[in-house]
Amino acid sequence: MSDRIIFEDVSKFYGEILGVNRVNLSIPPGITSLVGPNGSGKTTLMNLMTGLVKPSRGRIEVLGHPTDDPENLFKFVGYSTQFDAFPKGLTGFQFIYSYLCLSGMPLQDAERTTWQTIERVNMVDAASRKVAAYSKGMRQRIRLAQALAHNPKVLVLDEPLNGLDPLARSEMIALFRASAAEGCYVIISSHILHEVDVISDQVILLSNGYVVAEGQIQSVRSEIQEHPTQILIRCDRPRELAAKLFESETTIEASIHNDGHGLLLKTRDADRFYLAMNQLALNGIQVESIAPADDDVLSVYEYLIGNEEVVR
Amino acid sequence: MTRLWWTQIKAVIRLELKKTFFAKRGLWIYVVAALPVLLFIAYAVAMSHEQHRTTEIAREGERRLAYQDLLAIKPGMTKQEVTAVLGKPPLVFHWTERRPTGPNSTEEILHEDLHYSDGQNDLYLGLANGKVQSINIHEGYNLGEDAVMFAGVFQFFFLRLAIFFGCLGIFMNLFRGEVLDRSLHFYFLAPIRREVLMAGKFLAGLLATCTIFITSELLQTVAFLWHFNPQARDLYLYHNHGLEHAAVYVGVTFLACVGYGAFFLVAGMLFRNPIIPAAAVLIWEGINPFLPALLKQFSVIYYLKSLCPVEIPVSPGTPGLFALLISNADPVSPPLAIIGILVVALLALFVSSIQVRRMEINYTTE
Repeated sequence: MSDRIIFEDVSKFYGEILGVNRVNLSIPPGITSLVGPNGSGKTTLMNLMTGLVKPSRGRIEVLGHPTDDPENLFKFVGYSTQFDAFPKGLTGFQFIYSYLCLSGMPLQDAERTTWQTIERVNMVDAASRKVAAYSKGMRQRIRLAQALAHNPKVLVLDEPLNGLDPLARSEMIALFRASAAEGCYVIISSHILHEVDVISDQVILLSNGYVVAEGQIQSVRSEIQEHPTQILIRCDRPRELAAKLFESETTIEASIHNDGHGLLLKTRDADRFYLAMNQLALNGIQVESIAPADDDVLSVYEYLIGNEEVVR
Repeated sequence: MTRLWWTQIKAVIRLELKKTFFAKRGLWIYVVAALPVLLFIAYAVAMSHEQHRTTEIAREGERRLAYQDLLAIKPGMTKQEVTAVLGKPPLVFHWTERRPTGPNSTEEILHEDLHYSDGQNDLYLGLANGKVQSINIHEGYNLGEDAVMFAGVFQFFFLRLAIFFGCLGIFMNLFRGEVLDRSLHFYFLAPIRREVLMAGKFLAGLLATCTIFITSELLQTVAFLWHFNPQARDLYLYHNHGLEHAAVYVGVTFLACVGYGAFFLVAGMLFRNPIIPAAAVLIWEGINPFLPALLKQFSVIYYLKSLCPVEIPVSPGTPGLFALLISNADPVSPPLAIIGILVVALLALFVSSIQVRRMEINYTTE
């Protein structure tokens, strides 16, 4: 029994339109973000993972289970989709309650679990109102509640923070982190890169239906050879430090930080640079910190995909 | 496992029934189901009015007459002889006709129309110069004729149109409607076998159509029997197989919902436009009498017609093609007909179960 979400040479075509092509992935527990512009294949990948669409080619397994067996799959998978339509006439409570009843849960348990879930997403006050009368943020939260209701091991969330106010966003992010800390698999797609950067344990970068990169963001960054690594050094005498650093052959560019108290430099080999830094005699220059400046999702995204449709 | 499936089926039924019964786009189904009821109510009102008139005529007559008295009048009897048997007529119309007998001569004929009633049946007598020339008895209750009329409405309107289109409206929308509303993923995200979901939706559709059309059928029977007096009602229900017929009509209605429901459930999964399968099935059911024996069996109406309790007589002047539509030249026995419908329905449900497993959520292509 595999403990990963596995895609093996998966392709999906909608007629002649490419959804995703030749995707090979092995997703571990933790928060994994799918990042890419519109039409890059994020939702298709999520729909494939949850069996809502079937692959044209290849094999998908979620923790050892095939995706064409919803009866077993959705016992441990919860999916909050981007589809903004709900069964007609249901209140928020009925929406979750019906979902749990469909799962075969006894009615009393379903009612209790429904209230607990609604409480988790702070929707108690609106639970008796029709979903059709909800705001966008409320609809987003009730969809999240549906995905969370049965405490799934795998949470697939398509743009889960869309439409949420800042407070709700931070609450939801805390919820995702708590789930990940418990060993859950949280798969999130998002346009909002700074949020992805903050919450993700690993990222999958998609472009035009292809997986461009995957893994922990730092290791993805280190594999991008054509863009030198940027390092920010906080110090009191940046000009002197720059002169010294140019003695090392690993430094290819250096510039003084806007506030005058730091140095932004570019190197082709970060590991060798750090070693060289250790060997440098700094002549009394006070170095406060040394940190990579472009090993975040935003930089990786820009290097690999470009800056189309990025929300910073 | 079976218990879990049954729990899930009940959950699907609860959700679907609410949607089916109160859907705005399904209101026309209630109208279609109510049409034959309204027809029979109108018929009953007309017949009640007629009976009231007949009773009034009987009351105005000189004597209380029995049906046998009306039958006693024969052509050629004089007015005095008629009056001796039936008394003074409550309604008389007379007029004079001048008929030419030669180039310059005419004959004057006195015509009289006498109208008697025993309170239920009317007797119309046409007299010429004091002698009975024509006798016309109009029976207030003609159970045989009324039963045939009921059978005609049932077979040609209720079965072929009302139930047919009602099932189309309800069963086609079970999946197609949710695809159009973009809400089918709600079900597909639940840990429920697609076949169990399909079974739940089918049973919900069946429950809805049966409730609507069996209620309509029962109301039609009530409306149909409304104008009968208690004796005639008892005669029809208990001695003329009326009760049995009513039960059979309910059974046929149920089987029609099963057969057409299964057909339209699968059609809703296979076709985006309901007009295409509806037209195809309507034509297929329509041409059933002209099909070879083997192909006839793949039709719902073939079995339903065999189960209908009252055969509609084909009058001698009926055109050949129409006569073929009315008559069931090759009926099957009731057990075989029931099995036939169930087999056709099971076949359709089997195709549905394959189709539902293949279904994908891809609203953008709809």
